[in-house]
Amino acid sequence: MASIIDIKGECALHVRNFDFTYKGATAPSLKKISMPIAKNSITALIGPSGCGKTTLLRSFNRMHDLYPGNKYEGEILFDGRNILDPKEDLIHLRTRIGMIFQKPTAFPMSIYDNVAYGLRLKGIKNKSELDGRVEKALQDAAIWKETQDRLKHDANGLSGGQQQRLCIARAIAVEPEVLLFDEPTSALDPISTQGIEKLVIELKEKVSIIIVTHNMQQAARVSDYTGFMYLGDLIELGYTEELFVTPKEKLTQEYITGKFG
Amino acid sequence: MSPVQKRIFINKLALIFSTLSAIIALAFLFWILGVLVMKGLSALNWNIFIYEGAPPGYEESGLKHALVGQLILVGMATGVGVPLGILAGTYLSEYGKNSKLANTIRDISDIMMSAPSIVIGAFVYAIVVLPMGHFSAWAGSIALGIIMIPIILRTTDDMLQLVPGTLREAAFALGAPKYKVILNVVYRGAKAGILTGVLLGVARVAGETAPLLFTSFNDNFFTTDLSQAMPSLTVTMFNYATSPYEDWQQLGWAAAFILSMFILGLNILGRLILLSTKKGK
Ligand SMILES: Nc1ncnc2c1ncn2[C@@H]1O[C@H](COP(=O)(O)OP(=O)(O)O)[C@@H](O)[C@H]1O
Ligand SMILES: [Mg+2]
Repeated sequence: MASIIDIKGECALHVRNFDFTYKGATAPSLKKISMPIAKNSITALIGPSGCGKTTLLRSFNRMHDLYPGNKYEGEILFDGRNILDPKEDLIHLRTRIGMIFQKPTAFPMSIYDNVAYGLRLKGIKNKSELDGRVEKALQDAAIWKETQDRLKHDANGLSGGQQQRLCIARAIAVEPEVLLFDEPTSALDPISTQGIEKLVIELKEKVSIIIVTHNMQQAARVSDYTGFMYLGDLIELGYTEELFVTPKEKLTQEYITGKFG
Repeated sequence: MSPVQKRIFINKLALIFSTLSAIIALAFLFWILGVLVMKGLSALNWNIFIYEGAPPGYEESGLKHALVGQLILVGMATGVGVPLGILAGTYLSEYGKNSKLANTIRDISDIMMSAPSIVIGAFVYAIVVLPMGHFSAWAGSIALGIIMIPIILRTTDDMLQLVPGTLREAAFALGAPKYKVILNVVYRGAKAGILTGVLLGVARVAGETAPLLFTSFNDNFFTTDLSQAMPSLTVTMFNYATSPYEDWQQLGWAAAFILSMFILGLNILGRLILLSTKKGK
């Protein structure tokens, strides 16, 4: 059976007996997943391609609901409520649980408007408040220096690494409690990757972070907890330093020593 | 001949024939353009824009009636066809997706696009002109609008589908409701493509004659009365060019020139817009 540790501090989210089945699929892609997500910590999800990391991550903000016919079973508890409840207000949920995608997703508008997008959705119209919060978000995402002189320029003129920071700024501008990262550096060069990793570590002061990565070194570098997934199962969840040195499960051991994957 | 020599020979032959065909096709195009520019330019003068139609032989005759009529007809068709086409295209791409209904609409729209425009003219004649009892600008615009809708619907559908799904997801992930995702992210991403589709749609209907013969018909005088027959460049061109009077024929050439330049301009503008956004990426 899976080996899941108890976490020390508070939990941001709690997954319980969670099954996920894609539309038309005969078998669930995620099977009886149970795991805590620690607050103000970074939890990494690793595992071979196709094991369900992205599927699990996209369940936390109910992204799968954009495509009808997918099925959730079990519970994901957030603030004491099951967010898988069909009556859950998804718009509100997604302002509290933000997401950064694999490829940068800068909107076709100015740098300023990108960051202000979520704020305006929240109904903030006051110019000086918007200005202040846009600047703060850009600073927190460590991209203010490069962009302060060209806030009105098209965001697509930025480099890949800058665009990914912009997306992070856009996500943190609305002050979410949880941030989901799906392989955020897989499209970036090593220098940009380093920068994003540093930023992710800084962000955990304010938010709880779940990061999917196929890069074990990255998981080891940034995360506090690591979950190893295999074929839709969560095999092991442990402290990162323990999991990579003394894994409890044989499968984890084989994966981190490069026997498969 | 060895097999290799034979292949080289066939290769050369094919090259010569295809080059020749291309030259012949282009020669016709430049011939048409050349005649049009020569005859059209020599027929152009300020009177054309100042005076309306007059009987043959009158010094003070022009095309003002047809120019204004054309703008009204095409303008009204655009006013109806563009919103309907864009909304329908939005439905297909963002809501209907690959559902049966959406694919049926796509098929019907494709059939409409290839339907001879004279058939659409006859249709509008039957449902608008006959009940009203007379030709009208309304009927002409409706016919042109019907021709325009499938073009704009299809380009909108195609251009919206080119917007990456991850961009939509990113907007949803910030808590945007669907209509806002479409309005301020998807439309922005497809802006240039949709605008090009609109320009091509306008250019397409601006050159139509057959559907207008049944609907707005023609008039040799200036009018802005939408419930009556209305002159257009195309039908006026047909009447003047086929008339036996030299001065009317001249006006016909001028009309042909103006219309062609208008349509050429729209096409070039459409291409420039597409080009400039490609460079921006
Ligand atoms: N939209 C989808 N529809 C059906 N099956 C899917 C879909 N997306 C992913 N899957 C399947 O779900 C499983 C997990 O995929 P995914 O979560 O993307 O894995 P990972 O992110 O770990 O590489 C895979 O077997 C994949 O084929
Ligand atoms: Mg993945």
